[in-house]
Amino acid sequence: MFRDISKWCFGALALLLFTGPFKAQAQGDALFKAKCATCHQVFKDGTGPKLYEVRQKWTDGGAAEGSIFQWVNNWKNAVAIDPYAKTVSNWSETAMSAFPELSKEQITSIFDWVDSQEQATTKNGGDPLSVSAVEQESSLSWAWIIMGVIFVVIILAVGGVRRQLKAASSEMEGKAIDDDMTYTDELKQWAWANRKVVVVGIISIVLGLVVALFLSLYSVGLVENYQPSQPISFPHSVHAGTNAIDCKYCHNSVTKSKSAGLPTVNVCMNCHKQISGETPEQQEQIQKIYDAAGYDPSGAGRYTGDTKEIIWNRVHVLPDHVYFNHSQHVEVGGVDCKQCHGDMEKMMETAKVQTIEDLNKVEGNIQLSKTTLTMGWCIECHKEKEISNGTLDTKKDGYYDEIHKRLMDGDKELYGKYLEDGKVTVMELGGWECAKCHY
Amino acid sequence: MERKYWKDIDELKETSSFLESRDQEFPVENSVEEFLSDENLQESSAGRRDFLKFLGFTVAAATVAACEAPVTKAIPYVNKPENVTPGMPTWYASTYYDGNSYASIVIKTREGRPILIKGNKDFGITHGNMNPQIAASVLSLYDSERLTRPRINGVGGSYSDLDKNVISELKSAKKVVILSNTIISPSMNEAILNLGESIGVDKTEHIQYDAVSYAGIRNANKISFEGLTDEFTGSGIIPSYDFTKAKTVISIGADFLNSWLLPTQFSGQYGFSRNPDGEWMSKHFHFESVMSITGSNADVRGMIKPSEQKNVLSFMLKAFGVNTGVDNKLNPITKKKVEEAISSLKTSGSQSLVVCGSNETSLQVLTNKLNSVIGAYKVTINVNNPIHLFKSEDEKMGAFVEDIIKGTVPEAVIFYGVNPVYTLSNGSEFGKGVQKIKTSVSMSLYADETASLCKYVASDLHPLESWNDHRPVENHFSIAQPTIRPLHSTASALESMLVWAGKAKRAGKDSKVSYDFIRGLWEEKGFQDPSQDKYNDFESYWNIIVHNSSANMIGVAPEEVAFNSDSLKSLKFKEYPGDREIVLYQKAGMGIGLQANNPWLQEMPDPMTKVTWDNCITMNPVEMDGYATTFDQENGLNLAKVKVGNAELTLPVYPLPGQTPGTIGIALGYGRGGNGEKIGKAAYQTKEYGGYEMNENGNPKPIGQNAFKLVNISNGTFSFSTSGSIERLDEMYPIAATQIHSTVMGRHSVVRETTLDIYKSKDKQAYNPDHTLQKLDENGHHVDAPMKDFDLWDAHPVEKIGHRWAMTIDLNSCFGCGTCLIACQAENNVPVVGKTEVRKGREMHWLRIDRYFASDEEATIGLRKKHNKSKMEWFADAENPALNPKVVHQPMMCHHCNHAPCETVCPVAATTHSNEGLNQMTYNRCIGTRYCANNCPYKVRRFNWFNYPSYKAQAEINPAQDDLGRMVLNPDVTVRTRGVMEKCSMCVQNIQASKLKAKVEGRAVTDQDTSSACGDACPAGAITFGDWNDIKSMVRKSADDKRSYQALEEIGVKPNVWFKVKVRNEENKELDALQVVKESHHQGHEDAHGAGHVSEGHGEHSNH
Repeated sequence: MFRDISKWCFGALALLLFTGPFKAQAQGDALFKAKCATCHQVFKDGTGPKLYEVRQKWTDGGAAEGSIFQWVNNWKNAVAIDPYAKTVSNWSETAMSAFPELSKEQITSIFDWVDSQEQATTKNGGDPLSVSAVEQESSLSWAWIIMGVIFVVIILAVGGVRRQLKAASSEMEGKAIDDDMTYTDELKQWAWANRKVVVVGIISIVLGLVVALFLSLYSVGLVENYQPSQPISFPHSVHAGTNAIDCKYCHNSVTKSKSAGLPTVNVCMNCHKQISGETPEQQEQIQKIYDAAGYDPSGAGRYTGDTKEIIWNRVHVLPDHVYFNHSQHVEVGGVDCKQCHGDMEKMMETAKVQTIEDLNKVEGNIQLSKTTLTMGWCIECHKEKEISNGTLDTKKDGYYDEIHKRLMDGDKELYGKYLEDGKVTVMELGGWECAKCHY
Repeated sequence: MERKYWKDIDELKETSSFLESRDQEFPVENSVEEFLSDENLQESSAGRRDFLKFLGFTVAAATVAACEAPVTKAIPYVNKPENVTPGMPTWYASTYYDGNSYASIVIKTREGRPILIKGNKDFGITHGNMNPQIAASVLSLYDSERLTRPRINGVGGSYSDLDKNVISELKSAKKVVILSNTIISPSMNEAILNLGESIGVDKTEHIQYDAVSYAGIRNANKISFEGLTDEFTGSGIIPSYDFTKAKTVISIGADFLNSWLLPTQFSGQYGFSRNPDGEWMSKHFHFESVMSITGSNADVRGMIKPSEQKNVLSFMLKAFGVNTGVDNKLNPITKKKVEEAISSLKTSGSQSLVVCGSNETSLQVLTNKLNSVIGAYKVTINVNNPIHLFKSEDEKMGAFVEDIIKGTVPEAVIFYGVNPVYTLSNGSEFGKGVQKIKTSVSMSLYADETASLCKYVASDLHPLESWNDHRPVENHFSIAQPTIRPLHSTASALESMLVWAGKAKRAGKDSKVSYDFIRGLWEEKGFQDPSQDKYNDFESYWNIIVHNSSANMIGVAPEEVAFNSDSLKSLKFKEYPGDREIVLYQKAGMGIGLQANNPWLQEMPDPMTKVTWDNCITMNPVEMDGYATTFDQENGLNLAKVKVGNAELTLPVYPLPGQTPGTIGIALGYGRGGNGEKIGKAAYQTKEYGGYEMNENGNPKPIGQNAFKLVNISNGTFSFSTSGSIERLDEMYPIAATQIHSTVMGRHSVVRETTLDIYKSKDKQAYNPDHTLQKLDENGHHVDAPMKDFDLWDAHPVEKIGHRWAMTIDLNSCFGCGTCLIACQAENNVPVVGKTEVRKGREMHWLRIDRYFASDEEATIGLRKKHNKSKMEWFADAENPALNPKVVHQPMMCHHCNHAPCETVCPVAATTHSNEGLNQMTYNRCIGTRYCANNCPYKVRRFNWFNYPSYKAQAEINPAQDDLGRMVLNPDVTVRTRGVMEKCSMCVQNIQASKLKAKVEGRAVTDQDTSSACGDACPAGAITFGDWNDIKSMVRKSADDKRSYQALEEIGVKPNVWFKVKVRNEENKELDALQVVKESHHQGHEDAHGAGHVSEGHGEHSNH
């Protein structure tokens, strides 16, 4: 509690006192990720050298004042005037890109941000992999079982006490003790005495069971929250969230093909050739990529050619009789990945089938009510989603222009009906027809 | 008044069994209940009550199982190949050649698996044509019984051992013979030369041998034209033929649309010349014995025996003033037809072409003379661009076979692309000889009849797995590129040859030996050709060549060659002493039996007989006295024994109208693998509930019998017609023929035809009248109104909005070859059901080709001529309809009716209409009531009776039951399960894909995007598919054509499929009369009606 308060105070203070520098650092953070992160890391050499305290390094090396900024703008200019820059250019055969658009202030903000970073080994917070989901569910059920056992014991104990009391009272009243009377007989007696209640009770229990059966049948085949285990604990939040890598960079057939495509190992290696992880947990996971790619990260790093595939477990599995095409939805329909897959930027693990409640919480999503990955969900969206707002020719697309023309020439009345709600929906152009998805 | 069309003798005569099967679409005797209580069925010998128990349990189990979603795996590439996008097809251009069929093709691959073959429309000499065998070869690629590694002495071995032994044994052998089929690969020829050089040119002999030989043509051309010789073999040449310029085509037994020489090229050319809207339409005369695909399309078809071929040629030559001294006696009916042909020849002159299918040298000399006389060498025959296929050296081969049998064998023989133990009449003796050869090497894909007897088998690669190059004709080169990494640890024959020649080293599955060699050779030779100078460097030239799969050289136009008249002096013709003349022919599906293990081809109904899974003896029904002539599914047909010399075959006798009386026909390519050879699972007869029928030796019984046993050498060439005797046996044999399945219940308006005369001179109403119904006008008068005015149901708005997918089928171009059927099967995962199920009428083909025989005997149904003749007298009548009927081939598939009768009867709305005009089938909704099939006027719906991908009766034949075979399935199309209806979807997966492509590119859908598997496969371009709502589309133009009509238009279902009237270039007084009567009848009707109208009008007037 106290720690939280101190954090709070510190945060408030920081906000008050350091708004200026804080802003600059935020800019440096963004710029570093946008311009530098492809080749440079903060604490480790990659395609380019590490950037931590690089200004100090240049000063120590005897570089001319300001030549580092020229270097960033266009390294060739710096080489021409500064002998130190020339030595830096020999660091690697790979030439650095030129960034003439960066101002001196911006470059400074990048360096400030880089120098403000701390080595990962010294901190533990914020690492997504160290935050493992606490399996509360199972402990919860254990609690229930223990409670159940206690209840049964209590009931039995109370029952025993009651019988003893009853026996004692009978004895006192001088009645014959019916020792042969079992619990069953007692129950029967009791049931007969309270028959109205019992009949109503039985009927309602049966009805309840039938309702429960139907509800459970309706849930057959529903896969909301399905999240199989995966060979690599891949944190989407780091890739799509922190590093803001576009979904389409890894799932790159999403615009071209029916399948979005799992990233092939060579795509992972584009970045992970340099990024081998900072914590042991991360390194262990990333090592799996190296194993698959047949990459030996030690020394100069080379490919051994001894590859092996990564076998993932599919998360979104449609039945064989359903045809779904990603490019139709993403490329033509302009549907955001989030509409169906939720906010992957916050997903700390590999994907799962999101619940419809979670999907509805995502900003900008069409609000739907049916369970995720059911046909009802698909067609509900097809009913809501518009192909175009207004007439089809406003879509400025050769395909829909032609459909627009045919509707105008052929059946204006029908077209008018489509446009009653101000948009032409997927359903209106046949998005509810069976053979659009089943063949 | 209409002509009567019939599919079969049963239908013609309306036998009781026909009527029963016609009325009972789903035979009750084979109900599911009975099937399940069938005691033969050991595994499910369960009663009805047990069945219900099982059912209950299964439902419960399924429910429980469904709660837990099965975990499916997903494995991404480690390194993604550049040109593969998972989920998207990649197309490669390549070339197919198996020694018998040749075509330029394009191959559709998904995630690196070839799944469909189409003809290459843009490049190559075949212009997008192929045949059923090529279309089906993609399945043979995945046959699980292919050899997976080299074999030494019958057991698996390694290439290192094999190469070491073969090289040393070849070197030490005194004589080495390389026996191959015709090699049209320049690289392979070079490799064989290299091998010869390394082991000694003097002691190496290369013999080319084709199972079906055309040596007669080569011999004849060598005799007839001096100086025209093949540069490799020294034999004569086969010129190229141009059917596009032939106004008159005369064929003497040459089945050039199906099997003769280069049908993949000829069928397209022929289709081009058969356009009734063109400047001219060719006139086709055909004289043959067995009704062939080509014969069935002829304008005039004469029935002759093989022995009469010389008479026909000699008769025609005489008409041109050439007296050959050859017998020219003809029967009056044939004579009339030949005379008609002569007058047509005289009219068209040099723009004519005479072809002869025989392998007899003397017959081909007569043909050459006739072509020379009419001047065909100036126009339609090009000796400057000879065909390089079929270089069989029959005489050399004959001598070699004798040597082998005698035991004076060469020490080493390499067999490549040949299977002489199967294709020789004395194959078994030859086989014994092969076992005595010290070093016998085979390069077969299977341990087949010959390979299983060889010491070494260095298995070749399938044409879809290997690099190759081809030179089918002089001026054309093509490349075959692999579309899949070799499935097994085998290497291409070219690589083996090069390794044995010491030119290369084995490099395993990723070997580039063949590639480097071919590329090197092309750089050395091909790039030097002056026609390639538009390319700057070899690299860019080579990339284009591989991309297009072919390169054309500069050709030389046809020119007249001098006929050597001496060649007519020493003519020798084959004798036919037996009482029956026998013709051996190739079926469209089976060919010479190279793919006898291919279940698609085995189940493909033969275009003429419609028999599946069997070969038969064909005989004209008029002379089948004492034979079962009606088609009886239960009892089958009579078996008969054919004897030619010592060879004997026992086969069922099938009534085939149009067969020349006195002759019988037997198809080649059957009876493979009878001695326990492993040639593929589907090559054998299966029992009703799975497993094989066994023969007396304990080996699985092959399908059909080997007719190559009847081939003999006559006058130096292999002869494919012979004579012998036939003896009827009392035994019956059940066959599976689809011809009376799915009848149209006597509604013969499905087919329309006319003659070119009528088509050119009369208006549309004469040959393609509109269907009219009468309705009341506002005055209460009866008036004729076109069908489109009548609506039983509310119209679907397909004509106004979006797309309307439609198809037209030109009956004039459809030859009935069946390529579309195989393409449809490959594209749509249509299951193979097996012979037993076909006999029950349960074939699953979404597309069938109805073959109607047409007779002039009856003007219309029910108006049969009254006669008191007995059945046999009636058959004996020369005017008998079954003697030599006309034929119409009509592809039939779902018509996607806009007022579909099937849709209204479905209780669960599993079949519905889309606003794009498609009749949609939703399998997961279907509960299998079959009401829709009962209500379908075209009988195109198929009920899925079994879980074919796992039911044991189909274990041997259904590719989906095999891990490897499953790779051919199209991943975009559902594999249907038991208990659902299925039917043609108009390749909705392609429609969706083409729309998506257009949307991504932001443009309207055009003809280039849309395709149906059948339309793509059609060699003659008979099928046009597209968006009818697009007024610029081909299909719209075609559907609006004056020849277009809709089958059964009168029932008002408003289909999205149009047929186009068949136009015959013939003089047919009966048909003319019928159609003129129709016209005048129509006219008269109008007049009469008009009169009635007036008088009624008067009546009304008088009322006023």
